[in-house]
Amino acid sequence: MKRKSFIVSLLILAALPLASCKKSEPKGNLTIALLPKSKGNQYFVTCEKGARAAAAELGAELLFDGPINSDPAKQNEIVENWITDGVDVIVAACENKDSISTALRKAQEAGIKVVTYDADAQPDARSFFVNQATAQGIGEQLIDTAAALTGGEGEFAIITGTLTAANLNEWIKFIKVRQAEKYPNMKLVDTKPCDDQKDKAQQEATNLLSAHPNLKAIIGVCSPSVPGAAEAIKQAGKAGAVKLVGLGLPSENSAYVKEGVTQAVILWNVEELGYLSVMAGAALAKGELAPGATEFTAGKLGKMKVEGDNVILGRPFVFTKENIDQFDF
Amino acid sequence: MSFKSLLARHEAVLVFVILFEVILFQVLGRNFLTERNFSNVFRHSVEIGLLAVAMTPVILTGGIDLSVGSMMGLCAVLFGMMVNALGMDPWVAAALAVASGALGGGINATLITRLNLPPLIVTLGTFSLFRGLAEALTKGAESFSGFPASFLALGNSTVAGLPAQIWVFFAVAAGIWFLVHRTTFGRSFRAIGYAPEGARYAGIPVARNTGLAYVIAGAVAGLAAVILVARLGEARANAGIGYELLAITAVVLGGVSIFGGSGTVFGTFLGWIALAILNNGLTRISDFKIMDQTVASVARELSGLLTGLLLLTALAIGASIKTLAVRRARQQPIPLSKPDPATP
Repeated sequence: MKRKSFIVSLLILAALPLASCKKSEPKGNLTIALLPKSKGNQYFVTCEKGARAAAAELGAELLFDGPINSDPAKQNEIVENWITDGVDVIVAACENKDSISTALRKAQEAGIKVVTYDADAQPDARSFFVNQATAQGIGEQLIDTAAALTGGEGEFAIITGTLTAANLNEWIKFIKVRQAEKYPNMKLVDTKPCDDQKDKAQQEATNLLSAHPNLKAIIGVCSPSVPGAAEAIKQAGKAGAVKLVGLGLPSENSAYVKEGVTQAVILWNVEELGYLSVMAGAALAKGELAPGATEFTAGKLGKMKVEGDNVILGRPFVFTKENIDQFDF
Repeated sequence: MSFKSLLARHEAVLVFVILFEVILFQVLGRNFLTERNFSNVFRHSVEIGLLAVAMTPVILTGGIDLSVGSMMGLCAVLFGMMVNALGMDPWVAAALAVASGALGGGINATLITRLNLPPLIVTLGTFSLFRGLAEALTKGAESFSGFPASFLALGNSTVAGLPAQIWVFFAVAAGIWFLVHRTTFGRSFRAIGYAPEGARYAGIPVARNTGLAYVIAGAVAGLAAVILVARLGEARANAGIGYELLAITAVVLGGVSIFGGSGTVFGTFLGWIALAILNNGLTRISDFKIMDQTVASVARELSGLLTGLLLLTALAIGASIKTLAVRRARQQPIPLSKPDPATP
């Protein structure tokens, strides 16, 4: 009995590789696989929405799959399964840069075109990275929005994450450059770190409000700083008198935006990021986008800029009282 | 009906489950029975298979080891540090990672056998401890990569038509099978699990032998970590998260009693295959439509649900066969009460 079951199972195992009979039916259209960092995250669900729209326009089939837990091996397994499926394009947001690159290189070896979005892989593991926003774009959008709200004059302060965060410092640099160039009547009075904590941001904002009674605007460059500063402004009774703009998710700021405490939240349009990423992947597969290109046409978005191996989504999107309810991430 | 044939029946149930899965996924999925996918099934589940075969002796003694997944995280990080920060040869580092795993297993063993603490509590403690240590060493964010191609080949190349790491698995599984079923030492695991006091009276060094089961589990977890790093090309503190539960699932699915004392390494092997095929097969059903809704978007979420169903169904079938057999055995003496004229 035992021996018999052993033999039967050996036979099954032996039969597995031999029985390679079922092949995927050849498809006329592209199959594009979209990999999020995690599947349940509203940010990526919104990306998928844009990606579906792009796939529908292209007449392509879109596969959307991603990890649902934090097992770092999952993204690789999904990519390897897609290689088995023989998809044409993989569009990936990379959770673990180095490990996913191992799988993406395998995909490239198998003739699959690879584009990354949101978070990049190693440069040799993909053809293009769809960059959601450049440091310059973010910095300029922040100061332009603040200037529009204050009439381009008066004192303003910045609340940042930490004074050592490279990306935040890069954005602050562009805020300063733009302000010196275009808004000479504005004056940066202070830059305070909030250690990426909301309550620290609230405390710093309260201090700023009492130290600088003429303060006209606060710019928050890290996402916890915006709701933190909003709470401080609200409690100081200065809602509307001191304008608040910052970088963050619409969902975590919508209450303050609707109350009129926060005037504008800035982030790239996530749906368009999904749309552009799929369009870039398809263009790459069709040969419309090749290394060295400086621009390509991405459906309804029109001509998009390509810098080196980065496809640029463009200027960030401004969420205000009027439009914030249309976004659910 | 002898005990042995009952076990054989459980394994026979598993063989049918596996056959059923293969047919189901071949019909519903795409590219299921292909060489490439066949490799994927094993490549992606070798780590869990290793943990499962090494968990078998532990569960046979009536214990459990919840710390093996966390141990993988810790060994992965240690391996990464040894190669990247200390510039060690990856193979030397791999051996040291396995040794660290054995050492970690030794901590479990000491607490369980010397202080007589319950294995569930001890390994629940080291479950947090090992993962926490791995996270502390990397400040939660750092990771290690840039390993030489010769090392990455362990996780990504093919040897004799099969993924390279499957041969490592076969060697370890064969070793543990031999230990458990062909040596007096290994047979003591079942004796200890069946009746620890009885084993002690029979002259078995219970503490030493039980402890060794945990040391083996730890060392194999270290090996699984090395293989995972070779496959991913990156060592991180979150390697092997949740793997301990999948390994235990494979062991129990394989018919090993969670109370210890009965079960086989071959059963665990089949349990692991059934799980591996289920998880892979679900990802193959990517263009299957129910009510105009593509199943691709829910396949992965279904994997937990179906793993649970598979485990409970296989155990229920196994248990009912056993109950039926017992009932039949009870019914047999009845004719004896009415003397049969044919018997002398």
